[in-house]
Amino acid sequence: MEKLQEFSRIKFRINDVVYEGIVMPRTLYEDEDHFTIKLNNGYNIGVEKGKIEILEVEPPKVSSEQPYEKSFESTGPKILILGTGGTISSKVDYRTGAVKPAFTASQIVDMVPELKNLASISVKTIMNELSENMQPLNWTLMAREVYNAFKEGYEGIVIAHGTDTMHYSASALSFAIENPAGPVVFVGSQRSSDRPSSDAATNLLGAVIFAAKSNSPGVYVAMHASINDDLIAIHKGVKVRKNHTSRRDAFKSINAKPFAYVDVKKLEIKFSEKKTEAKGPMNLYEKFSERAALLKFYPGISDKLLSSFFNKEFFDAVIVEGTGLGHVSRKAFPYIKDYIEKGGFVGMTSQCIWGSVRLTVYETGRDLLSMGVVSLEDMLSEVALVKSMWAIGNGLDLKAIMPKNLRGEINERREVL
Amino acid sequence: MKVGFEIHIQINSKRKLFCNCNPKSDESSQIEFRRRLRVSTSELGEIDPAAAFEIKKGLDIIYVSGDKTSCLVEADEEPPHEPDPYSVEVAIKISNMLNSFIVDEIHFMRKIVVDGSNTSGFQRTAIIGLNGSYTFRGKNVRIQTICLEEDAARLLEKGEGYVKYELKRLGIPLLEITTEPLEISPEEAKAFAESLGRTLKLTGLFARGLGTIRQDINVSVEGGCVVEVKGVQKLEQIQKVIEFEEKRQKMLLEIAAKLKERGISEENFVSIEPVEVSDVFKNHLNIPSVKKFFKDYAFALKAPGLKGLFSYETVPDSRLGLDLADICRLFGFKGIIHSDEISKYDFGQDILKELEDKLGISKNDGFVIVFGDKEKAVLCLQMVKERLKMALKGPVAETRYATEKGTTRYLRPRPGASRMYPETDIPTIKITQEMKDKYRIEIKSWEKAVEEFSSRHSINKEMAEQILDSEFVDFFENVVENYKNVPTTLLASLIVQILIPYQNSGKVIEYDEFLNLLAEFSKGNISKEAVMDVARYMLEKGVNLESALKEMNIKKLSVEELRKIIKEKIDEALQENVEPSKLYGTVMGRVMSLVRGKIEGKIVNEEVKKALENLNKA
Repeated sequence: MEKLQEFSRIKFRINDVVYEGIVMPRTLYEDEDHFTIKLNNGYNIGVEKGKIEILEVEPPKVSSEQPYEKSFESTGPKILILGTGGTISSKVDYRTGAVKPAFTASQIVDMVPELKNLASISVKTIMNELSENMQPLNWTLMAREVYNAFKEGYEGIVIAHGTDTMHYSASALSFAIENPAGPVVFVGSQRSSDRPSSDAATNLLGAVIFAAKSNSPGVYVAMHASINDDLIAIHKGVKVRKNHTSRRDAFKSINAKPFAYVDVKKLEIKFSEKKTEAKGPMNLYEKFSERAALLKFYPGISDKLLSSFFNKEFFDAVIVEGTGLGHVSRKAFPYIKDYIEKGGFVGMTSQCIWGSVRLTVYETGRDLLSMGVVSLEDMLSEVALVKSMWAIGNGLDLKAIMPKNLRGEINERREVL
Repeated sequence: MKVGFEIHIQINSKRKLFCNCNPKSDESSQIEFRRRLRVSTSELGEIDPAAAFEIKKGLDIIYVSGDKTSCLVEADEEPPHEPDPYSVEVAIKISNMLNSFIVDEIHFMRKIVVDGSNTSGFQRTAIIGLNGSYTFRGKNVRIQTICLEEDAARLLEKGEGYVKYELKRLGIPLLEITTEPLEISPEEAKAFAESLGRTLKLTGLFARGLGTIRQDINVSVEGGCVVEVKGVQKLEQIQKVIEFEEKRQKMLLEIAAKLKERGISEENFVSIEPVEVSDVFKNHLNIPSVKKFFKDYAFALKAPGLKGLFSYETVPDSRLGLDLADICRLFGFKGIIHSDEISKYDFGQDILKELEDKLGISKNDGFVIVFGDKEKAVLCLQMVKERLKMALKGPVAETRYATEKGTTRYLRPRPGASRMYPETDIPTIKITQEMKDKYRIEIKSWEKAVEEFSSRHSINKEMAEQILDSEFVDFFENVVENYKNVPTTLLASLIVQILIPYQNSGKVIEYDEFLNLLAEFSKGNISKEAVMDVARYMLEKGVNLESALKEMNIKKLSVEELRKIIKEKIDEALQENVEPSKLYGTVMGRVMSLVRGKIEGKIVNEEVKKALENLNKA
């Protein structure tokens, strides 16, 4: 069967009826034996190649891609939106039905008209990665862009990011940029922006309002506070986690209240914590090392796994997600002991997610302490991992820096919430 | 005249199309949540300006979600599950039955819908069959498409700045069957819909009950364009709606001709814009009607050449003025005032004169006024202007809805090519040749089905047909199966004589109450005669079975009690020296007047005879 160029307009016959349509691209998971044809009524159908008789073919018109714009003329605080990929920065082409990255200032303002009078917005796409593909190198790139943007005079930065690993990236930038000159707000969407019900617009609105008006330097994540489209929660970048696979309120502050809420109807910020202020000059520590690992302990964990994790050849730090208050089976003791003796760092967090590690309550905990395992208090395991990658990358002393509260990653007290 | 049908019919699946909820489950709790839908300007395209306006302004959409009847999928908080295999099977069966070309792969699409009736902002829909046919009165009617799609949420209320929907119905699998435009009379159209509807119902693959089958009808007269009428739920409406539309569209052609006669063309509209006329009314607040209508702003629009045409009416409720008022209602206005009706409002000659001066009205011109919010008034009058421009050509391609009495009212402009794009959350589904061969059903003849039903249940054909056409088929079968001693003739009479007419008057029948009524009969607690009386009483007074039985003082008499009454009445008659030949009649009459409905007449007869025989022996 002949191969038709994608997006060709064709006239074809099925039985005795003549139809018109456009030949659509097939995905990787679809076979080569069928055509996907978009009929004139907008519907796509899949038909075996042999079943249709093609009467006329009109090759596709070359579409004129519009160049990305740099900025949108408006008054207000200078805000930079960085596009990194993910559902929030893609758009559907209604003619073809394909999802394309689309991230221009005018498109954003078109999607969120409320932004027009809020801030002077510039947009820059710095990468196009789904968040599961983000690597420490991407964090470095993001951190550098943010640092430079503040140096250039931007007052707030919004980073549009895929949601899966957004809390890792937020954590990474929290450590990489000491005393950021203004708010750095990560924002994503759980429902793709090509649907009218997308949370992308309201999340973005909340993020920009916070970046422009909060006067609270720091790294944050802005996402829906509930399943209603009214409040956007602003979480601290080192205290947040994705806790649901699909709900728009998947991100929750752990062991803390959200730092603030943005009411996207009234365009107002409500702080639940004291505003932050810059405590010194802005510094960039942009390196991350992959010589750190995260180990989730479970009953039946194999010796093979333990021996490959607690191996100084591979890793300088192992963050353990222990059970309960921070425990692992005594089976793991020899590996841990040996690893620490060889100079490895073992930091303890809890797989309970909520609450703090406390190694002094049970014997197991005390044994671990005596081996040199460091309690990381209520630091989230993902944050601890990123922090250790950052500490190694920048040649910092893990034993000294890991238990020290640098960016608000450890709460000394946990409120009754 | 051409008439096309889009028939929507709910598949009787146990689950929804894209999740595992059963809409018939009992809810134990409900929650509400609030959403907004957004569409970027470029995507709004041909969505009507009122909806676009509401969306831009931030219309709050409130959803009511029942814990067992909807889940995270309907709340648009979880990706769709794999499509219901049963519904796919039904779609293939019907496509086969209607001789369609069945696609080899199902590609679900998202069709943009921004009125809030879909939490996602789109409806999921896919073509299963193309180019089918259905034989009606010996002619082949082409079925253009058969689509499998999800039903929308049910509108509960519309208020200032919000709309409220219930999620129970959202996601129920529907088949949409679209015919080609047919050259048929209104009577034939009704017969066609009835015939296809019956054929579909007889497959047993679809839900029964009010609202489970809905038809949209496209009507176009020669020289006009396609008008889509939504929400026709009853067959009786079809004929009326088409007759009404034919007359209404012809009337619009007449109006167009009159405008042409008056020399009006698009050019006359070029410089026309909404004009603020607040001052005109502000200066006359002493006039009671002005005080009543005028709040903050008044805006008016000159309508060139339209004098006398707003109220021009060839069939009741078909005035152009009514359409304009409906357009304004979309923007939240109570209505409009147009020049043909302004005298009704007693604003006085001064106001009229000032308005005419301000708008530059000459001989044949009319005008339209709205009172209220400035921004809305301007947008609304701009839409009125567009509508009036279209009146130059005649009927307008628009979406209307059918009223109970069979007229149609303006709903929104007819969307152009639907905004559709692929539902990327659902992988393509293959329809194999094996599936196409396996999922086959044949058309059942209605006449045969009626005959079969009639002989199986020993009821006459008229009754059988009425029951098969109604929603009471399941009720009927249920009773027959569970209460074997209920005579089918009694059951059929109850349905045909009482329940169907009552339901046709638009009232809701509580099936369980009538099931209980028949259960009481089955247990011997009430007599056959009483069943019909109690049913009538329940419906007329709007009471449940328990209250009806209490209030009607119906309790079955025991034979012991009956004998006591018979003895009393015989003694009474003897004392009155009633002639022996008339004794039976007298006693029987008097006893029956006391016990009617409480015990079967047959038993009374036997007992009276027995008692009189004993008397003779004595």
